[in-house]
Amino acid sequence: MNPAVEIQKPSLLKFWGSRVISAIAAIAFCAGIQSLGGPLADNEFLYRIIVLSGLYVTLAVSLNLINGITGQFSIGHAAFYQVGAYTAGYLTVRMFSTQQIGEVPWLILMCLVGAAAAAITGLIVGLPSLRLKGDYLAIVTLGFGEIIRIIAINIDEVGGAYGLSIVPKIQSPWLIWALAILCIAVCRNLLKTAHGLPFLAVREDEVASSAMGVSTTKIKVTAFVIGSSFAGAAGALLAHYEAFITPDMFKMEVSFIVLTMVVIGGTGSITGSTVAALALFLLPEWLRGLKEANGDALVVSAPQLLGATLAIIAYIALARRVRDHYHGKPIQKAGFQFGVAAASLVLFFLFKAVFAQIGGLAGHEGWEINSLRMAIFAAVLIVIMLLRPQGVFGHHEFSWAWLKSLFVKKKQEAS
Amino acid sequence: MANTAEQETQATLDESATPILELADATIKFGGLTAVDSVSFTLNKGDLFGLIGPNGAGKTTVFNIITGVYKPTSGDILFNGRNIAGLKPEKVAQLGICRTFQNIRLFGSLSVLENVVVGGFLRKKTGLFSALALLPPAVNETTELRKKAMDLLEVMDLADVAQSRAADLPYGKQRRLEIARAMATGPDLILLDEPAAGMNPQEKEALATTVRRIRDDFDKTVLLIEHDMRFVMNLCERIVVLDHGVEISAGTPDIVRNDPKVIEAYLGEESE
Amino acid sequence: MIDLVTSGALAGLSLDPSTLPQQLVNGLLIGAIYALIALGYTMVYGVLRLINFAHGEVFMLGAYAALFVSYGFGYTADAGDIAGGTWTLLAIMLLVSMISCAIVGAVIEFFAYRPMRNQTRIAALITAIGVSLLIQYGGQLFLPAQPPPSISEKVLPADIRGSYDFNLISPDPQLESDLAAAKTAADAADSELEKMLTDTGQREFDLEPEHPLRAAKFETIGEVRSLSAEIENSSVSVTVPRGQAVMFGTVVLLMTLLWWLVMHTRTGRAMRAASHDFDSASLMGINVNRVVTITFIIGSALAGAGAMMNATFLRTPLTPFFGFMPGVKAFVAAVLGGIGNIPGAVLGGFVMGLAETLVVWAGYGQYKDAVAFVILIVILLFRPGGLLGSSKVEKV
Repeated sequence: MNPAVEIQKPSLLKFWGSRVISAIAAIAFCAGIQSLGGPLADNEFLYRIIVLSGLYVTLAVSLNLINGITGQFSIGHAAFYQVGAYTAGYLTVRMFSTQQIGEVPWLILMCLVGAAAAAITGLIVGLPSLRLKGDYLAIVTLGFGEIIRIIAINIDEVGGAYGLSIVPKIQSPWLIWALAILCIAVCRNLLKTAHGLPFLAVREDEVASSAMGVSTTKIKVTAFVIGSSFAGAAGALLAHYEAFITPDMFKMEVSFIVLTMVVIGGTGSITGSTVAALALFLLPEWLRGLKEANGDALVVSAPQLLGATLAIIAYIALARRVRDHYHGKPIQKAGFQFGVAAASLVLFFLFKAVFAQIGGLAGHEGWEINSLRMAIFAAVLIVIMLLRPQGVFGHHEFSWAWLKSLFVKKKQEAS
Repeated sequence: MANTAEQETQATLDESATPILELADATIKFGGLTAVDSVSFTLNKGDLFGLIGPNGAGKTTVFNIITGVYKPTSGDILFNGRNIAGLKPEKVAQLGICRTFQNIRLFGSLSVLENVVVGGFLRKKTGLFSALALLPPAVNETTELRKKAMDLLEVMDLADVAQSRAADLPYGKQRRLEIARAMATGPDLILLDEPAAGMNPQEKEALATTVRRIRDDFDKTVLLIEHDMRFVMNLCERIVVLDHGVEISAGTPDIVRNDPKVIEAYLGEESE
Repeated sequence: MIDLVTSGALAGLSLDPSTLPQQLVNGLLIGAIYALIALGYTMVYGVLRLINFAHGEVFMLGAYAALFVSYGFGYTADAGDIAGGTWTLLAIMLLVSMISCAIVGAVIEFFAYRPMRNQTRIAALITAIGVSLLIQYGGQLFLPAQPPPSISEKVLPADIRGSYDFNLISPDPQLESDLAAAKTAADAADSELEKMLTDTGQREFDLEPEHPLRAAKFETIGEVRSLSAEIENSSVSVTVPRGQAVMFGTVVLLMTLLWWLVMHTRTGRAMRAASHDFDSASLMGINVNRVVTITFIIGSALAGAGAMMNATFLRTPLTPFFGFMPGVKAFVAAVLGGIGNIPGAVLGGFVMGLAETLVVWAGYGQYKDAVAFVILIVILLFRPGGLLGSSKVEKV
């Protein structure tokens, strides 16, 4: 049993002190991202994915607000991203040259415009959510996303299926990450105050929420509007960073990937969404960049692929057994899990060696890693869901107190 | 068998009483079925009022039309003189009626304390922006709300589990938490839907004490639905009996207990 | 012909009543395929409350299975002169496609969905999306896709080549005889010109346009063209390729079989019980695992049948990604009809097929894929349970 909690007003110094420190850290981080461009000048690809991963952090954290925190099953987030990108991109093409305004202030302005346009779309999509629940809402948001994409394909004014070139190209890495940090901060602040609780309450039980005086309508629409406006701002930044957008960049798969980030991170956990967004965005890009020793793209041979597949299946089966049927001390359980992973690795080499003996397989030319990366992405997705369906972070948030409690709890259980 | 003393207290109560909730011919039909048929009763400020009846009598439906879950087909529901029939549940809660649920509806993965804070949140004063920017007003209000919630948990004897997940609590504590959460909304009238269901005799005894405290110390009016006859007869001062959506009896526990219609309704149910 | 192309808002709108019946028939034919896929969605959703996102991929694999069978019998793209297929070949393709889909469906259920059964629905849905992506991108490694192959039309036996033509409104006989006369006149003018050209050794384009013989030829050809157009507009006919008629018949047969299975067998009763209340069904001694497996087997086999017929009779080019869109549309069809409701899925499939072809007919072909979602949103907002379903009200 936990002891009764003392609730104290945070001291003024502590409150403002931690805020100033956070703000300085955020500014330093953005400046760091911006200045990385120098040392990474000869590795443009790496810099690019570091910058763009910021957009996915924004998308995942903002979808987490709708999906994880408020519990509204929205799976069409790419639509808001697209609305922001097209609105801002189109306005830049039409109006930038006539304005006497610097590039970065203009970009910030466009972020706001993109956010506003996406927020209006979010309002329109959010309204059906008042009548629909669960899977039905999911499929409607998915449908909205497709409709918006198909409309963009058919409007010649914004380039139709060929896409829209945006002149001038305005690349602002620090702004991309500043948006991501702002998005994280807003969601975290919401959860830190009592204002976040009605959102969580709507996720938990709508009937009880409204009996407690929570206007479920207002909460759901607010979540949709805030979440979609961040996605819209991210879209505006994407449009100006790439200077070229096509409807294909906002396909259903994009929504799925963002949704996956939220769920894998742990629905409702901002930390989880952030970490999963980085990991899942960087994973395929990292795979794409893998090279053989001689500098050619890495080739995976048929025995390797088959061996890995079988080893992964064995790993899932064993790891699930340990998870569900072994009730030892946590440290022993962790040890078992580690052992299972090691055994699976051995199995992989074993399988590979066996398959290499089969003539037809050994003779196969294999596949370049680039063509495998999405399949690997999907496999990782399934493995994580099978082994940890609540997501990597569950409902937890990163905080020093949480880290401490984890450590202390383990100690207690171990003793 | 009311003796003269009881009649006297009844009379004095009536004289000073101000009605807080009045149901006037409240009726609701679902398709062809009339779930609640012209039910009328009046609760006075400070009443401890029981609503009883066999299974399927329409008790919970009466709660649902009072709290705005359903809109009555006809009839009025006056709360402090204002007709609240057909208002949305959140509006009813804001006006000062709060309830618990027969099948417990807590916010399962939130902590016990957070559940109660949600209840208190409807009296909030700061805006959303203040929270999103983490400005002092919202932060201070959060501290205030948590403090108030903690005080309530002390009263309801739940302070030791304040940080546990609501879903992890044992059944009896979950019921108490529901009452605490409803109390946190600062209602004038509190509706309890089978608060003693599934409790053992000791827990029921403690609950009865708590309900009396809610009325006496916190100055609330209480309307409760209960199956356990002894519990209701001991606790409530006035009782309305429903059967098949129709009001069949009303009055003090003694009157109701000896009403042949009530006996028939309950015995009839048992013989089925 | 109704001409509404006057206001800007209706630009692109062309409502030609004489082509409407043909489009309605096309809509029914494509709708039959959607209905077949939608059945799989609706059955799985009915029992497990899971949107089986990988169903479209099962459909895709079924089409490839049929393709490989046709390759096995020698009907490759570069096969030269080869005798037409037989009914036996078609039956083998259908069976192989259905069986391989059934196996794939059961395997997916066992390895990916069964472990997720007690988890949150969003986790199960993400797993389904993962399986869908894995099959798509994994398929890309193993399945031929460049250029997208399609099943050779030579697999069709001789007696179902060609098409059934129905004249709903025959053209004016007067016009037809006029046309015949005009054709004779045109032929005569043409041969006269040819004769003159060979006689004089001139070439046609050296002649002046005003040259009488050349002018006569153009005039008679113009006459033939305008008469043909007039006949076209005044008559209404429907053409159904024989293969597609066979396809439609097979779909109806499969649906009838399914209906019998669900309504009149023990297994069907167990399925209905499980879809009514999964937990109670298991308490009543129904082996729910078996029911779920059978549901996946039947649903996937139906998708396989749809895939084989889609690839053979509608000759859709195959890629590892081609199952996704029909899959999503069939899911929409299932929701449209009331998800979990078998007749609803059939109705939804036909409505979806008709709506799509009607949009194409009205001149908005580019919005073909959007219309599915527009219908869906409208239906869900006004009748959330779908056309034949009933929406459940949560009990407080």
